[in-house]
Amino acid sequence: MSRLLLLLLTSSATLLVFGLWIPFKAVLAQELLELAWAESQARQTQARPWPWADTWPVARLALPEPNDSMIVLAGTHGESLAFGPGRLAGGPQQTGPVVIAGHRDTHFRSLKALETGQEIRLQDRHGQWRSYRVENTRVVDSRSEWIDTRQLTDDTLLLVTCYPFNSVDAGGPLRYVVQARATATGDRREQIDTVAGI
Amino acid sequence: MMLSFSLLKLGSPTVERCPPPGQCRVPSETRCEYVRVRSAPPSLAPHGFGRDPALASFLSRFLHRRSKRICEGISLWLAVLLMLFVHPLYAEANEADNVGQLHFVDGQGQWQEPALVLDSEFDIQVSGLIADTRLLRSFRNTSDQWREGVFVFPLPEKASVYGLTMKVGERTIEGKIQPRERARQKYEIAKQAGKHAANVEQQRPNLFTARVANIPPGETVSVELKYQQPVRYQAGVFELSIPTTLTPRYMPGAPLQSSSGQWHSGWAVPTTQVADADAISPFTVTAGDVARDSHRASIELLIDAGLPLEAVSSPSHQLATSRDGQAVTVRPVEGSILMNRDFVVRWRPLAGREPSAAVFHQSWQGEDYLLAMLVPGQAGTRVLPRELVFVIDTSGSMAGESIRQARSALQAGLQTLTPRDRFNVIQFNSQTHSLFLGPEPASGNNLARARQYVDRLRADGGTEMAPALALALQDIERREASSPRVRQVIFITDGAVANEAALFRQIREQLGDQRLFTVAIGSAPNRHFMREAARWGRGTYTAIQAPSDVDGPLKALFSAMESPVLTDIRLDWPGQETGIESFPGRSGDLFRGEPLIHVARGVPAMGELRVSGRLPGGQDWAKTLDLQQAAPGAGLHRHWAREMIDSLQDEAQLSGREPDTALITELAVAHELMSAFTSFVAVDTAPARASETPLASDNLPTLLPAGSASGMLRYPQTATAAPLLIALGLVGLMFSVALVLLQRRVFP
Repeated sequence: MSRLLLLLLTSSATLLVFGLWIPFKAVLAQELLELAWAESQARQTQARPWPWADTWPVARLALPEPNDSMIVLAGTHGESLAFGPGRLAGGPQQTGPVVIAGHRDTHFRSLKALETGQEIRLQDRHGQWRSYRVENTRVVDSRSEWIDTRQLTDDTLLLVTCYPFNSVDAGGPLRYVVQARATATGDRREQIDTVAGI
Repeated sequence: MMLSFSLLKLGSPTVERCPPPGQCRVPSETRCEYVRVRSAPPSLAPHGFGRDPALASFLSRFLHRRSKRICEGISLWLAVLLMLFVHPLYAEANEADNVGQLHFVDGQGQWQEPALVLDSEFDIQVSGLIADTRLLRSFRNTSDQWREGVFVFPLPEKASVYGLTMKVGERTIEGKIQPRERARQKYEIAKQAGKHAANVEQQRPNLFTARVANIPPGETVSVELKYQQPVRYQAGVFELSIPTTLTPRYMPGAPLQSSSGQWHSGWAVPTTQVADADAISPFTVTAGDVARDSHRASIELLIDAGLPLEAVSSPSHQLATSRDGQAVTVRPVEGSILMNRDFVVRWRPLAGREPSAAVFHQSWQGEDYLLAMLVPGQAGTRVLPRELVFVIDTSGSMAGESIRQARSALQAGLQTLTPRDRFNVIQFNSQTHSLFLGPEPASGNNLARARQYVDRLRADGGTEMAPALALALQDIERREASSPRVRQVIFITDGAVANEAALFRQIREQLGDQRLFTVAIGSAPNRHFMREAARWGRGTYTAIQAPSDVDGPLKALFSAMESPVLTDIRLDWPGQETGIESFPGRSGDLFRGEPLIHVARGVPAMGELRVSGRLPGGQDWAKTLDLQQAAPGAGLHRHWAREMIDSLQDEAQLSGREPDTALITELAVAHELMSAFTSFVAVDTAPARASETPLASDNLPTLLPAGSASGMLRYPQTATAAPLLIALGLVGLMFSVALVLLQRRVFP
């Protein structure tokens, strides 16, 4: 009986540790990514954060609500999303709309708080910041809607995460999409540093 | 202290059991505990309180209780935490009613209810080298509104559709072949008039659209298609594949108009390179998203090969076979199969009885048609040093099982390299990336690097095939001019592109003296693309259905690639009078195990057909076929007409002109064949729907191919298992703490 109990205790403790490891990893990885991002900005190369990584930092994203910034990685496969939001399409090098997806439990938890009119900013490898203004937020069904990047204008930024925000189902079909459009760059440079707190 | 006891006295008569105040050393704040002593075993009370050991035991018990209280507190907190996690679960369960069922959402957030249930029945008869199919598609309207159903579906890559019948209740209405625009017009007029009508159009040689108008509420309208297809015969094995769904195609190019937010028939909008993108992009859903009995196909296959068969097998489904002499009836074991992967059947004649030549004859409308098949046999191979370029598709449509199969196919390909060979690996999705700058020697070190590279390949992004093909085919300048190497490109993909014609043109222009071999991957590859790309690339193609196929068909391909068996093939029909039209016009080279198949019009079944060619060593090879022994065949004229139409379109492709629409239409109408310019339409005589009753249109989705993960531009998976793991961990911890507490109570 006590052995069974011990087994139950340890297995649920393990589950808990695994569950807590995911957000912990997300925070820890961002710290490591900061270094890689600095390196890729300095050298203008794809600096891999650790030698066996299959992804690399491509941008820095600043959200207004937690007043924090995070490093965006290339690609959106499971491994890269565990460390940071992933860039699905577009980017400073390629023209066209930018689509960034992130986990709703870790990095993109704060998307919930984004409201129309708020400012999102994106920094490319050259250190250039570009600011976007939130146009709308909506919930889509990923089974019947696809992201058609060609229907979006080139100055669009899409942030994608899972919906509903506090669901425990990791495979749900609904997605929360924040659509933002670039505002004129250049004249906002001064303000940027104070808002971002960088 | 006194006060507390008096309070207790007042509050409850049980206090009488309490020892006198002087003896009782219980601090006031624990008075409740004290009262609860009642629940302790009675043995406690009579044994004197005055004795010291008893007091000690009481104290220890008291401390015990304290720790219990702490435990209870912890479990209470855990319960509160759990509530926080469980609450969203409830919230989600309430939402589930909306989420579980499929609704199509348009840009304005309007919901479209699923209304039509689709059922398919394939009835296939194989005789000789041609399989004849009756395909019955039933559209059952489950709504209380009149409906139009639009369904985009694949057919085998060389299918010749030659008949359409619409069934409404007991009545059948025969369809007629018409020029495409006229057929569509007729259908639209009938639809407006409220008549039952059906229209089937060809979008791509292997992709069709069926439209059925005015399906009454609660009733079923069926469309029966008749088509035939050649059976594939390769390395002594016959193969028939029946596609049931399509892998969403990638549409390169910029959009022609921005119709954002509009509800349209497909998920894609027309682009500069794919003008009909919206017509060939049905929504893809999983089996759980459609009605339980929808998107199912029952298949019955009767094989009358005319020779004893050794084995009938399928890499895709489990088969139930029954034999009657030489004829074999094949059905999938589970009855009706889910339409999410190709149904593939292979059969092999008894060892030693594999046909090496066959002739079929048919006379249709006073004309003679001949179909001749010849297998040149196994010639000795001469292994030359090669330069192999592997091109692997890592686009989003390959995600899931496909990329795993592609990786193992590539690894198997790397194993066939010898130290004399040179190789390179190119992957492409939205961008192209190659392992080495140019082909490198297949040394152990390079191979190890390649293996590692291949293991790390992931599927994501678009399918920009053109730059990858250009890189693979034009890499040629880099090599030294004197190199005697044979250059081959192995192209591993699911062919999920919509700009096929442009890619074929590119292959033809950039090929030079190289050869292109294609390996089809996945549950529903675009076989038309694979076959034609290999044909334009002077190579051959193979399809991998299951991981086990990496050993079978793929091995056969790699050994066939070592050298072509027969080149410079020439056919001399008897008499060689003018008026003999034989197709394919120019035979490609034959690889090991490949048969030569020609169809001719205007040749009576007499005399001899002489086939000549050159063997790898440079010697001449010739064989004659006695046409008098021709067996009677059926459907040869349609096969001939289809080949003739294909060859007319090839010619247009080669010369860069528009195809001869008038000639193709005339040919297709004469043979009652569907083509790019002719389609079938069936219209009922009397209107069924009153003109004031509204008609809603439904675009039926297709199923996501089995084993395929998210498609090319689908929303990624953006949630982790963290909340679930944390919730489970907390539940488990709470449960075990509760058990611990319980155990302590029961066994003190």
